[in-house]
Amino acid sequence: MKGSEPLEMINSKDCITTPQTTIVVTNFILGTGILTLPRAAAEKVKTPDIWLTVILGGIIAMIVGVIMVKLSQQFPERTFYQYSQEIVGKWMGKLFSFLMIGYFLTLGGFHARSLAEVTEYLLLEGTPKWAIIMPFMWASLYLIRGGINPIARIFEIIFPITVILFLLVAFMSIKIFEVDNLRPVLGSGITPVLKGIKTTALAFTGPEIMLLILAFMKEPNKAGKAVLVGITIPLFIYVITVVMVIGALSVDGVVTRTWPTLDLIRSFELTGLIFERFDSLLLVVWIMQMFTSFTINHYAASLGLSQLFQKDIHPFMYGLLPIFYLISMIPKNINDVFKLGDMVGNVALVLFGFLPLFLLIISKIKGRKYETNL
Amino acid sequence: MKQTYNHYVQFLLVLLSVLLLFPLTGCWSSHEIEEQSLGVGVAYDKAKESMIEKELDEQGEGYERKNLITSTYQLITPQVASSNTKQGGPQQKSYVNVSETGDSPFQMVRELSLRSDTPFTAYHMKVIVIGEALARSYSLEQLVDQNLRDNDFRPSCLVLISKGRASNTLESKTAGEVPAFHLSGMVDNTYRTTRILPPMSLIKLASKIQSGSSFLLQNVLSANGEVKFAGAAMIKGKSGKMIGFLNEEELEGVTWITGKGKGGLVKSFDKKTGQLIVYEIESMKSHIQPYVKGNNISFDVHIESEGRLSENRVVSGNPFENQFLQKAQKASEKEVEYLVKNVVEKMQKEYKVDVAGFGNRLRIKHPRVWRRVKENWDQTFSEVPINYDVKLTIKDYGTSGSKK
Repeated sequence: MKGSEPLEMINSKDCITTPQTTIVVTNFILGTGILTLPRAAAEKVKTPDIWLTVILGGIIAMIVGVIMVKLSQQFPERTFYQYSQEIVGKWMGKLFSFLMIGYFLTLGGFHARSLAEVTEYLLLEGTPKWAIIMPFMWASLYLIRGGINPIARIFEIIFPITVILFLLVAFMSIKIFEVDNLRPVLGSGITPVLKGIKTTALAFTGPEIMLLILAFMKEPNKAGKAVLVGITIPLFIYVITVVMVIGALSVDGVVTRTWPTLDLIRSFELTGLIFERFDSLLLVVWIMQMFTSFTINHYAASLGLSQLFQKDIHPFMYGLLPIFYLISMIPKNINDVFKLGDMVGNVALVLFGFLPLFLLIISKIKGRKYETNL
Repeated sequence: MKQTYNHYVQFLLVLLSVLLLFPLTGCWSSHEIEEQSLGVGVAYDKAKESMIEKELDEQGEGYERKNLITSTYQLITPQVASSNTKQGGPQQKSYVNVSETGDSPFQMVRELSLRSDTPFTAYHMKVIVIGEALARSYSLEQLVDQNLRDNDFRPSCLVLISKGRASNTLESKTAGEVPAFHLSGMVDNTYRTTRILPPMSLIKLASKIQSGSSFLLQNVLSANGEVKFAGAAMIKGKSGKMIGFLNEEELEGVTWITGKGKGGLVKSFDKKTGQLIVYEIESMKSHIQPYVKGNNISFDVHIESEGRLSENRVVSGNPFENQFLQKAQKASEKEVEYLVKNVVEKMQKEYKVDVAGFGNRLRIKHPRVWRRVKENWDQTFSEVPINYDVKLTIKDYGTSGSKK
């Protein structure tokens, strides 16, 4: 079967290994959420049990991730854009694909904008948004022109830096950590914990990339493992973030902060080390994570268009740049930015929470029919 | 033809790369450090215009404002910094204090730019001191709102209260000393005394105010260019305003209740002879256990500490004998018990406010009860019975033993 059909745009050499897949999923998940999750979750949960909510959210993401992997594994070496038409017909398939491309475009715009918002206020005051967003997009363009393999390889470099610096900075905040802020555990029962699940589960949007990159995997049968590990790593990072932020700022304090994780790092100084302040370290890590997330959005959207129109991918990569930019400029103020983020989350809920399951069931039924007809 | 085309492309690419080197310097909207004055401390007081301000105002052409707050900014200006380093040693004051009066702290900061060629920056702000009069009439939340919102004002900045005028605490007569650094450094002395509170940074203050519970802020006194930490100011959670002071001894009591002390001493007197015994704290632990029976709430406070006999004037006392050590222990325990009871009485009877974290323990142990009582906690607390149990252990007595 393999190779009998010409597969558009997928170079047989452009493969990624299982660890690379894991890292792509992890890097895609970690984005704006790491700075805002403690607040967003605290608003809903209102008790210190937010870390439990984060764990539950992660488990849901894992279930959804595995469903998406199972779906993609039905159609080896083909992406969602290609096989969706086979499951639900040409038009429905195209519609879903376009929705998905729209999702990646909006998410990419959101990432670029939140990057600009944080950087503009806390790092490069006075630098206009366009001057922050544009180089960011160009660097992304430069990277994705090489295909999935270079993307995965740069992620492999970024990933350990992120983890090490993040853990370093997070654990340094132990100085202002107070266990009392995290107690009582389950003081109001399980209900508040469940209230925040949607928020925390949406912080784990990212496994949907498996619908596309599974086709590039050298060993697609290991995709399930890749997605599970790929979600577990951000799960740990999120739990550490939430525990440290709530421990330092308390639930009451965290709901008033715009970027609570950044405030955590801004709230202590350590003397005696070479550096006293570590906000820039966190920002460096975070900006790299925003870059990886944006890059995947950019690549996924370009890949979708190129596969739908069966054209070369490069013109789409260039062509999408202004669209990303325009989307990132839609929100008029910071509340609109957060609203855009919520909207993207809700779309993800429908598009990746329910749709893959639905498609998986249809394809299973169809598959069985096909077998019995034989 | 193709050759020249390639040449053009190459030329353009090289040109582009060279141009790209310029943004690499990253000096978009950069400000030279020599052109800024670094704010290291700020004091907020009830409005009282300085002489300079009065004179400027008399000449008219001011702006519309209510004179509510006077903020005094402690600056390290480039002139001060360079004059110090050049002359080989600090010969003069190494800071400049500037006062502004108005109603909005942010506007006052920006007014400074009308008076100096080196605009004020707050990246290195270490301490905010709030005067008693202002803290009594203003909600702290409103007062520090701008500082918390600001991007260069760090949430790690310390907050202190001063009985008297806060601006005086930012004065020093010692050459080369920067009062703001002095104040923020003193907070680290908790390993020496139980009369210093754990540092209250701006972000912790915000969390406390948000939670609506009452709390303490370190009080700092000043006299003749010197400062001293003396007790604490009580801030009522509901209003965010200051309601009164605890003296040094009372603050010690709070430290024993919270068990957050790292070192210090207990001075007591021998029962029989009335002679001095000083116990040095090596470790301190406390446990507040809330009990709820129906509508009745009560607390048990267990305090444990290990330490050393550091001073002994009891002539008959022989530390080589356990009997005496136990006597010394008893005396010190009595003293701690007195300290704790004394401050609890002040909290419950005089101010009807819980600043020692009893409510926090109830929140953790009985969250459902807490939700019921938290609205009126300070009032409820004032009638709650509290039992104490203090246990000190003298582990050793230094290098001298008995007195003959």
